[in-house]
Amino acid sequence: MTKILSLVLALVMLVSFACIATAETTDLPRSETLYFGGQQWGPINGYNALSSNMNNSMVIASAPRGSRTVMFETLYMFNTLDGKLYPLLADGDYVWNDDLTQMTVKIKPEAKWSDGTPVTADDVVATWDACVLTKNGTYTGYAAYIDKIEAVDGAVVISTTITDGKPTNPLQVLNFLSATYILQKDYLATLIARNDSDAAKILEDPAEDIVYSGPYKGYFANDQLVAFVRDDNYWGASDAMWGTLPAPKYIAHALYSDNDAALVAFTSGQIDVNQQFIANVQKLWEEQDLPIATYMSEEPYNICVTMPSAWYNMEIPVLQVKEVRKAIAMAVDYDQIIENAMTNQCPSFAAVPRSVMNPTDGEQALYDHDAVKELQWVGKDIEGAKALLDAAGIVDSDGDGYREYNGEKVTLNACCPNGWTDWQAAMEIVAAAGQAIGLDITTNYPEWSIYQTVFTKASQTEYDIFMYSPAGAEPAAPWSRVRAFMSSDFLGVDNNWSGNFGHYKNDRIDEIISAIPLTTDADEIKALYTEATKIYLDEVPSFSLMYRPETFHAVNESVWTGFPEYNDGDNIPPADCTDGYGIAALYNLEPIK
Amino acid sequence: MKSTLRNIFHSPRFMVGFIIFMVMVLTVLIYPYFITRDPLVSLGKGFLEPGTYFSIYDANNASTYRMELPEATMNRLETSLPLADRQLILDFLKAKGADLSDLDTSNDKVGELIEAWTANYDEADVKASKYEGFTTQAKRRALARLNTKLSSSASSDVMTITRGDGEEATTSSISDTDYARVDQVANAITLPLGTDNFGRDTLTELVKATGVSLIIGLIAGSIATLLGLLVGLLAGYIGGIVDDILMFIANIFTVIPGFVLLILIYYSVGQESRGVVTCAVVIGLTSWVWTARSVRSQVISLRNRDHVNLSKLSGHSLFRIVTTDILPYIASYVVMAFILQVSSGILAEAQLSLLGLGPKTTDVPTLGLMMNWAKLFGAYTSSNAWWAYFPVILVIALTSFSLNLMNTGLDQVFNPTLRD
Repeated sequence: MTKILSLVLALVMLVSFACIATAETTDLPRSETLYFGGQQWGPINGYNALSSNMNNSMVIASAPRGSRTVMFETLYMFNTLDGKLYPLLADGDYVWNDDLTQMTVKIKPEAKWSDGTPVTADDVVATWDACVLTKNGTYTGYAAYIDKIEAVDGAVVISTTITDGKPTNPLQVLNFLSATYILQKDYLATLIARNDSDAAKILEDPAEDIVYSGPYKGYFANDQLVAFVRDDNYWGASDAMWGTLPAPKYIAHALYSDNDAALVAFTSGQIDVNQQFIANVQKLWEEQDLPIATYMSEEPYNICVTMPSAWYNMEIPVLQVKEVRKAIAMAVDYDQIIENAMTNQCPSFAAVPRSVMNPTDGEQALYDHDAVKELQWVGKDIEGAKALLDAAGIVDSDGDGYREYNGEKVTLNACCPNGWTDWQAAMEIVAAAGQAIGLDITTNYPEWSIYQTVFTKASQTEYDIFMYSPAGAEPAAPWSRVRAFMSSDFLGVDNNWSGNFGHYKNDRIDEIISAIPLTTDADEIKALYTEATKIYLDEVPSFSLMYRPETFHAVNESVWTGFPEYNDGDNIPPADCTDGYGIAALYNLEPIK
Repeated sequence: MKSTLRNIFHSPRFMVGFIIFMVMVLTVLIYPYFITRDPLVSLGKGFLEPGTYFSIYDANNASTYRMELPEATMNRLETSLPLADRQLILDFLKAKGADLSDLDTSNDKVGELIEAWTANYDEADVKASKYEGFTTQAKRRALARLNTKLSSSASSDVMTITRGDGEEATTSSISDTDYARVDQVANAITLPLGTDNFGRDTLTELVKATGVSLIIGLIAGSIATLLGLLVGLLAGYIGGIVDDILMFIANIFTVIPGFVLLILIYYSVGQESRGVVTCAVVIGLTSWVWTARSVRSQVISLRNRDHVNLSKLSGHSLFRIVTTDILPYIASYVVMAFILQVSSGILAEAQLSLLGLGPKTTDVPTLGLMMNWAKLFGAYTSSNAWWAYFPVILVIALTSFSLNLMNTGLDQVFNPTLRD
């Protein structure tokens, strides 16, 4: 009897497991689905585009360099290739008044919400009001620059805040245009009402019933997959916008445990578009003959727009010595970082000499290359670095092979988050450079959860040399990057994610940073940027370790083809087919027979 | 004693394990006398395949010898245009609808194949016409790469080298029958296991890492065995409240999975202060429990033997009774436990380092760290570099295999029920 009972129990268990297994797999037709990789980690919390903790990065990823406009849309789309803003919900270009205090943006008459009602200027106003009410990320990012937003004769009028009789920062308003998702006024009213106008409750509302304007909507989501289905009534199919619907009926993102798992899925064709650093990516097609391609066919394979940098902690006495900062930076073997850490997927510092600019042509033209030539070091200059330290009086007097500062051996740590492969490799090379010039630098890789709380503090002495990236490409760049590198705006700010993590202070650079946004004369701007570059290279508050793309873009053409590529004439940036103007790629895709 | 040793060295299992182990230990000891370079120095950039590398620059300056190998031309053809490339050309011509009647992939048709390629290939045309099978970026780019390769390797018997530039430039020529001897090239290096992601010689690094991992295993094993022995002896022999307290502590360690405990301790210690010795000590401190429990149970059974009681009656001290009347009886077990502890210490380090929790990496390589970097740089996914991880796995496997063999060999000798 017990035997039969146990057998039955075992069978019941087996059957229930089988049921669970089949219930979890929802079939999306592979030939109509575009699978993404490297964007979504962990299950989603909802669709509330006001909030920044929905963990729904396939549709809510707001950034000035190009928000992901799959479900929610912005006024303009930023194109990292040419640095221009392309209208999405907006109609035509924005117009500034003469003293840069008011900007007018018209709304496309064709733009519609998913419930069929038109998108109007009132919606933009309501969105900003909701941001102000909830004090969300958009509010904290732009409240200092945007005074108010009004609807005037059916157009949006954005008034800037005024500092000393001048607009505080017109460039930041451009960032607002490409970053902020516009939401429907009526829906926002419902959302606010049902959460009793309580900011915290509004931001936690998953908003499953949210009204959106983009081409896709939530289809299903569980702990293995998130999927979105095309809204065939999408307004953008009209000739005023794209003229057609995006090619994939579904877009989906499987949730992988880590990068390795995602990479295996990508190579086997389960992911079509992958946003993930792949070491030696060229071997995938050269040696393994897989149908995989990157944006560019040759090195560096990507468009690099940012510079992960090593920041010096100015609270460490020995790092307050300019010569020490410069000596370490001079001794680092950047070619090795680029070859080892980036496996050559970025230009070298010989090809694009260091400055505050990213390697795109637009930014490179903004400073006088000859004027700063003397200051641009190429790296691996061990002798030069040693001489610099000797001259500064930081020498090894007790013969242990390490130099002393104020009688104590110089011991520093070089930190970056654990598991961030390319950064870890870079820090290893920085540590090796330190050892080569007699400074005892060792690496330290805390977990990201800890790392992020330490380097963003208003004051810390745990990390001496540590890595983080300044702003990449965005409408306000490169000004925003100069600010991120050196502005004293970030001093004393706790939870500072924006820049100057090493807490550097220089009065002249602060003047330059406030002058650039209000300067309109091109030569004057160039002179200011050149001076900023000079200060940056002379003072070395931080130094760039490599150039890097903001999003990696590799595609597997087992199911879809027609992805954007370098110089193909379409001017679509490698932004993962979803970010900013990069979403134009979805309209060019074709299924492979 | 002598006969025990003889028995041990007559046990085939023990001997096999011992020989493997000693070969590794000797390699670790002797290798640095032959290859003196720092195991952490970066030679190349990124993963380089195993093989002999020589400087092309220096090869041009080495003495030349004239040789005419009968298969030279064919070898050259097969290297410059491998079969896969010829097939690609054929596939492309077929997709384009060109006349294939006269073409195949054999060596004597290569010339015609290249001719047909030059006549038919045009990058813009391939993109615009979308020939079947060549619509993807990957395929189109494969064709473009092939085209670049074909046009740059235009065949000729003589190659001209120009030295210097401007007016003072001199030229010399290399003919296809000129050879150089590898050992006469000023700079040549043989990398039997290639290089790792940092361009470091994998073999040299591996030898150093094996040494470090063995030290970690030895330290961890010694600590675990000594601690386990001490706790087991005290708990077993004294008994009573001492036994209760010690076993309570041991039980706590048993209940918490050792590896989880290790991860937590390593994590809280922080990478900066995780040297090799610290790592080894932590491993040792978390793995003494089983030794303690087994020693305790053996001591309990020994405690009431006649000779122990006699010692007690003679008024011998606790220390003397334990060292002379009890320890010798469990010595064989302790030696075997020690060997297993060494083995598990090495494995624990490898596991932790693979998770990125190993010793700090700037100082020394360990087997686990090598695996960790190989994993981080996609050695077994995108980078396709088996040499960066497979030898490491092999060494780890061989180490624990040999130690376990030695252990079972000893068991056979010491355990009367297993004796042949």
